Amino acid sequence: MNANEPLIKVDSLVKTYGDFNALDGINAEIYKGEVVVVIGPSGSGKSTFLRSLNLLEQPTEGTITFEGANITDPKVDINLHRQKMGMVFQHFNLFPHMTILKNMTIGPVKLLKKSKAEAEKTAMELLQRVGLADRANSYPSQLSGGQKQRIAIVRALCMQPDVMLFDEPTSALDPEMVGEVLDVMTQLAKSGMTMVVVTHEMGFAKEVASRIVFMEQGKMIEENTPEEFFKNPKSERLKDFLRSVL
Amino acid sequence: MNSDWWNSLVEKFQVNFIAEDRWLWLVDGLKATLIIACGALLLGLFLGFVIAIVRSSSENLLKDVKKWTLGKVLLKIGDLFCKLYLTVIRGTPVVVQLMIIYFVIFASFDVDKIPVAIIAFGINSGAYVAEIVRSGIMSIDKGQFEAGRSLGFNYVQTMIFIILPQALKNVLPALANEFIVLLKETSVSGYIGLMDLTKAGDLIKSRTYEAFMPLIAVALIYLVVVIILTKLVSILERRLRTSER
Repeated sequence: MNANEPLIKVDSLVKTYGDFNALDGINAEIYKGEVVVVIGPSGSGKSTFLRSLNLLEQPTEGTITFEGANITDPKVDINLHRQKMGMVFQHFNLFPHMTILKNMTIGPVKLLKKSKAEAEKTAMELLQRVGLADRANSYPSQLSGGQKQRIAIVRALCMQPDVMLFDEPTSALDPEMVGEVLDVMTQLAKSGMTMVVVTHEMGFAKEVASRIVFMEQGKMIEENTPEEFFKNPKSERLKDFLRSVL
Repeated sequence: MNSDWWNSLVEKFQVNFIAEDRWLWLVDGLKATLIIACGALLLGLFLGFVIAIVRSSSENLLKDVKKWTLGKVLLKIGDLFCKLYLTVIRGTPVVVQLMIIYFVIFASFDVDKIPVAIIAFGINSGAYVAEIVRSGIMSIDKGQFEAGRSLGFNYVQTMIFIILPQALKNVLPALANEFIVLLKETSVSGYIGLMDLTKAGDLIKSRTYEAFMPLIAVALIYLVVVIILTKLVSILERRLRTSER
């Protein structure tokens, strides 16, 4: 793959549910090391867009190219590509029947064929980094929401992905727990991880994003650097939106 | 008066169970009942899981198919076959199924009755197990599936490592109940001349012309077995639950 090529390239992506156009011709390019934050009112298609990137939503039309491979081609083994795309969900989706350590090592052991010891070593290092090493043998039900989401992030990192997708990672959290999760995400961004983040956290967008995209009715209306995005919004819709959230 | 009553009871006990070692018939009958029930349980679980997975997979994977691949066509055919199986098995009495399998399907073969009973009750139980397991699979949050897939697990791996362990735990009480029902349903095995526990009691009755003792004994044995099973299941359930707290 050429270094100047985008890591993910989305070409005229359309997703329809019956008559409803959730995504209406999206074009986007995400480069290595970028943190792209997607914002927009609810129902604007931002989650659908994010979930299309690893084909949790099957696009109706259009192509997605990841690391030079057209992953929308039915002949491509999507599972191999998904290993390289970590995903963090709004509702954490930890596996409740496994300990934290097992949650983090099952992927590397079963899919990357790592030894149990090696996978556990990596997992423990990551747990250390997010300050949860003492919870390795707990079950998800014993953790707070913020802790669960931090675990969900490091679980995805255990697969050593090339990009991390965040689908409203703080929306289901109690307000006092939002900070701890955003801290982990900021740290991750600073380490150079490519990230696509759907969020309502404007502060995070302003601080961490390399680029912010505004979506509305299945289209990407406007995108810009954080400073320009908040200082000089161009479209009326974005101005309205920023007025209502800031 | 009181001792007369007692003496006649003792005498009846002797006639029904001690004479000619008739109690051994009950033991043999119980053995047959347990073997049939356990064999049918295993067969039923196997069939039930396969059917539940086929049916829920076709619900998940064949929602809006754009391109029919060979795998998807096979899954669709499998799904239709499963639906037919469920309809027929749940729509007819188990006694009739047992007799059809023994007197029609195996009519021209010289087969042991116990394997035939295991097959008949297993096929019957499989239909109920399938619906129990399917409800268990459907009870798991969609997010679990998405989390598994997003890590890179394929559909089957996600099922095996993530969905089924949780589903199984949720439906364990229902499966145990199905086993208890199955155990009692095997009491119709006498229809194909198989000496299970019920038939053994019936046989004693026909020899001694006494209904009370043998039938009460049979009932008590079933009751004790079921109570033991219930207890075992509740221990198992508690174990599974504490592993998460």
